[in-house]
Amino acid sequence: MQGFLDIFDIYLLEAVINGILLGGVLALLALGLNLIFGVIDVTWICYAELVMIGMYGMYYMVQVFGLPYWAAAPFAIMLVAALGAALHYFVIAPLLTAAPINQLLATGGVLFILQSFATVAFGIDFRNLGIRLPVLTLGEMHFSYSRLLSFIAALAGMIVVYLFMTRTFTGTAIRAIAQDRQIMSLMGVDTKRIYLVTSALGGALAGLAACLLVLQYDVHPFVGLSFGPITFLICVLGGLGNFIGGFIAAFVFAEIISLGGLFSDLEWGYVLAFAFFIVMMFIRPAGLMARRS
Amino acid sequence: MPVRKAARLFVGLFAAMAVLGMAADAEAQEKKIKIGVIYDLTGPLAGGGSELQYIGAKIVLDQYVKSGVEGYKVEAVYADAQSKPDVAINEAVRLIEQEKVDMLLGFYSSAQCVPVAGRVEQLKKFMWITTCISSAVLDGKNYKYVFRPQASGDQFGMMTMDFIAQNSKAKLGKEPKDLRVAIIHEDGAYGVDVAKGNEAGAKKAGFQIVLKEGYSATAPDLSALVTKLKRARPDVLFHTGYNPDITLFGRQAREQGLKVAALIGHGAGYGVYEKLKEGLGVDANYVFNTDPISIWAANQKTMDPKLPPVIKMVGEEFDKVKPGVAIRSAHVGMAASNTYLFLTDVLPRAIKKYGGVDPEALRKAALDVDVPEGGTMLGFGVKFPAEGAQMAGQNERSFPVVIQYVDDKSYVVWPKSQAVREAVLPLPKGTTFSNQ
Repeated sequence: MQGFLDIFDIYLLEAVINGILLGGVLALLALGLNLIFGVIDVTWICYAELVMIGMYGMYYMVQVFGLPYWAAAPFAIMLVAALGAALHYFVIAPLLTAAPINQLLATGGVLFILQSFATVAFGIDFRNLGIRLPVLTLGEMHFSYSRLLSFIAALAGMIVVYLFMTRTFTGTAIRAIAQDRQIMSLMGVDTKRIYLVTSALGGALAGLAACLLVLQYDVHPFVGLSFGPITFLICVLGGLGNFIGGFIAAFVFAEIISLGGLFSDLEWGYVLAFAFFIVMMFIRPAGLMARRS
Repeated sequence: MPVRKAARLFVGLFAAMAVLGMAADAEAQEKKIKIGVIYDLTGPLAGGGSELQYIGAKIVLDQYVKSGVEGYKVEAVYADAQSKPDVAINEAVRLIEQEKVDMLLGFYSSAQCVPVAGRVEQLKKFMWITTCISSAVLDGKNYKYVFRPQASGDQFGMMTMDFIAQNSKAKLGKEPKDLRVAIIHEDGAYGVDVAKGNEAGAKKAGFQIVLKEGYSATAPDLSALVTKLKRARPDVLFHTGYNPDITLFGRQAREQGLKVAALIGHGAGYGVYEKLKEGLGVDANYVFNTDPISIWAANQKTMDPKLPPVIKMVGEEFDKVKPGVAIRSAHVGMAASNTYLFLTDVLPRAIKKYGGVDPEALRKAALDVDVPEGGTMLGFGVKFPAEGAQMAGQNERSFPVVIQYVDDKSYVVWPKSQAVREAVLPLPKGTTFSNQ
């Protein structure tokens, strides 16, 4: 009995809830990337670097220009949305018919450009927003409000994107293009405009992630390295382009990291998560939520 | 005619002597030492302290680039390791093989130092390490050309444990055998080595180690580690990390309600107070850090009298580069002092006693170094063990000190011989991490 209580204590519950909250952060990051891949069929390797630019935007607006956080957030979202649209217009659009590897390499190039640009423009110092949100306390358990906000934003973001995709004309057009790129242009849909809207939307979701991550992490030119690879794994695990799959995969991944880290070394949490990913790629190569063909 | 002939002969002789003289002058002017300097100027380690080290080394090198050393010109060639071990190795080899540098100086990260030292030794070039501390760089390697005046990582770990052991009963009200300690560290060569020293020190003191764990410095989440720490309930937490993992840990520890009697860091990110304060806010108050003493905090009364003006100059030059810094980081002085030691002690001896700046001359000159305590800006002396020793190349006389940040100032609190005030221990009631 004592052994049972030693394992199933309040800290286990805290780890489970923290896993869910970390899942919220990862789900938020995966949302925009999934949208882009699902519609345009292009993987933005530089997605986490767009988040980094958004984080810098927030830092400068709040710390340097003195804007309140809530006033700065919409501007940061718009900034990254514009960046997303620009990325599509200048880099992706000319390569739409090119081999996927060329698209991948091009966005990989943008990744290095953005990292180098941030190093030159903002310096190598770690920047911090300096906002200390209160802590939610439940008995001996403590939770981060910023993580809670990320979780809520991820949930709300997914619902809004779902409603947008299913209840609006543009959303329907986006889904239709995702199914058949060629036929939609024959039916009179302006595919270029739809791609641009989708890219801006993907960028806006990266901006939203930036607004929430900047509350939890220092900003520096290489912050994307901490999130980029995990975000891709989650998108692939959930099924590239599948919002609900990505959302669930984020929580599965986060729980493995959190509980694996609690019961073993923290490093083992990540090892287990990546091992789970590899096994799932054998069992369900198209992702957790892929429909059987 | 004979007069004309004699005049022509004289002019010819004069011209020949002039040409030979100019050639000799040119040869004398060509005498120079080319030093390859490698730090991280981009990537996460740059902001974590490496750039400050670069500034410290450059300030001193710039002085000697102007004046030269014993008739030798000093030329510094700088390279950026980009916070990546593979880049550090490539840059080291590039500087040696393409830039034809005579030696290498610098290196912030132990993860870079370990492989680079091996490669440089293989190439039989001289390497003067100003910063990285992992024992793994030199332990049992018996390198001939790699030297480090800096204290080693296990010394860092042992020093903080000794500090707590000596204060356990008096300040924390617990016998060492009853004191619960946790050791967490980034999992690179640096963190592992300091943690090894921590563990050895804890065992020596008789502490209960309730948790010892490594983590990746780029991990996006450390909440599981914080939860485990809460479950383990340590009295004192010993932490070794870079940045931004330190601020991520600090923030998550606050949000998850971690409580301890003391939080003790070991250099790197803990050595850059400005960033620590920016990341942790008021929670940075009363945090301890272990590092070689800041040159601005070292006791100048017991120091070689030629050093205080150099310390002043380094401070003034640093303020020009980074104006308005509240606490000048120990990182700057560390690189400045170790670079100064090389340029004023090793290099002149190599030239005068061993006839040049080739690796053999530099190696012999380094082995001859015998600086007593107070002979460097960092307070400690310098003596390298003879070849064949377990830690060949490691300064035997170096030691770190424990400092505490109190109200935006740093104070040396341990060892007692260097302490300028009593440590605030345990964390005062009402502070975020206090378990009182």
